[in-house]
Amino acid sequence: MTVHENILCSKSHEYVYEENGNYNIGLTDYAIEQLGDIVFVELPEIGTSYTKGEIFGTIESVKAASEIYMPISGTVTAINEELIEKPELLNESSFEDAWLIKVSSNTFDEDNKDLIDYDTYKEEVE
Amino acid sequence: MAKTSLYNAHIKAGAKMVDFAGWEMPVQYKGIIEEHNNVRNNAGLFDVSHMGEIFVSGEDSLKYLQMLVPQNIEKLIDKKAIYCQFTNQNGGIIDDLFIYKLEDNHYLLIVNASRINDDYNWMIKNINNFNVNVENKSDIYSMLALQGPKAADILEAAGIKKEYQPHTMYIKEIKLLNDNILISRTGYTGEDGFEIIVKNEKAEELWNLLLEKGKPFNIMPVGLGARDTLRLEAAMSLYGNELDENTTPVEAGLVWSLDKNKTENYIGKDVIFNQLQNGAPKKLIGFKMQDRAIARHGYDIYINNEKSGYVTSGCVAPSIGCNIGLGYIDKKLNINDTIQIMIRGRLFNAVITSKNFIKKHNKGN
Repeated sequence: MTVHENILCSKSHEYVYEENGNYNIGLTDYAIEQLGDIVFVELPEIGTSYTKGEIFGTIESVKAASEIYMPISGTVTAINEELIEKPELLNESSFEDAWLIKVSSNTFDEDNKDLIDYDTYKEEVE
Repeated sequence: MAKTSLYNAHIKAGAKMVDFAGWEMPVQYKGIIEEHNNVRNNAGLFDVSHMGEIFVSGEDSLKYLQMLVPQNIEKLIDKKAIYCQFTNQNGGIIDDLFIYKLEDNHYLLIVNASRINDDYNWMIKNINNFNVNVENKSDIYSMLALQGPKAADILEAAGIKKEYQPHTMYIKEIKLLNDNILISRTGYTGEDGFEIIVKNEKAEELWNLLLEKGKPFNIMPVGLGARDTLRLEAAMSLYGNELDENTTPVEAGLVWSLDKNKTENYIGKDVIFNQLQNGAPKKLIGFKMQDRAIARHGYDIYINNEKSGYVTSGCVAPSIGCNIGLGYIDKKLNINDTIQIMIRGRLFNAVITSKNFIKKHNKGN
């Protein structure tokens, strides 16, 4: 598992990092481990805009359904189709190619103030 | 939160623990789907020590139990188990349970963890003039469930030859680990298997013995997560989901577990007999989802865009390869009819199916 270098995490276990002018959003390894076997991922339509803190998707494990929140405000530019077909890939790794959505955002610098780097996040959840 | 005698064994085995009915219980070890499949293909060992053991004895034991349940306990022969329910005046289910006849005037009742106190209070309240002793011994006994097609092989490897093992739906007292333990051939998975009642101080020793002797048969410890998917595939009710005090055995599809011609009076009989004749206001159905969405406990069921019921349980069914569920509807529909489930503000199609989601391997009365 490789964790992207500039990754920032939210208290509700989403991560975000910048890549080629867009922002990749996904769920942390800790969140996936807590959920267990992932069986279903519901993602928004491309073009939908969300403000920070809004629910943009749902992830279901065998045991329960959980909502996924926007760590920053933005407009969806891509969704990870492969995870819709094979949600179980998230159990192998939720980083690298297993981002959930890509968004464009021009408020990243204000929105990221309460986000924490991955090492701090790991300390907090463990 | 209460801990079972196997708490340390679970932690050692890497279990993820959750709160269940006030007990800290393992929800999974390796993963729910892997554990589920292993019970269907090999065997799994469950800690179900949170469940309750209540003993009834005294010369009026039979008459007393006959008054508490819609099932006919009179036909229960020695060492035999029977599934039934405690019902209230409205026919509502206080709990579902197994009654084992150990011998004349001596019965063991296995009840749900979440209902032990309600059951015990209900039983005490209804003793009236019956000459019976009701003893809640839940705190001194642990219970292990060994389930799966290899369960009998594993029990044999642990020292109990197959010819001495109880038959399906029977219980036997057997000497093991220098103690007398109770072994019944029952379970909650749809597979062949055993439930073993052992004193708390012997629980961990038995747990380790079964895991050790079960190794050649690929046994693994299994948590409550897979227990739920296994029982749901076998369409076995869960108290608090399919069953509650506002639901009768008729509504819950448990007519097979009551005596339709019972002559003795029991609590709730009027309502139950009336529903048997004239139908009940709701009916439990089984359904399969038509896409990958999962219907969860509490979601609304719609029929022709009209709210007509609710989901009681739903999950991924690893042995079936689709998502299944159980729920109540207030209209008469047939197998293969379409219903809809409201999931996060959208309606998803599901098809009513037989509740026999899987072929069960634990029949054999």
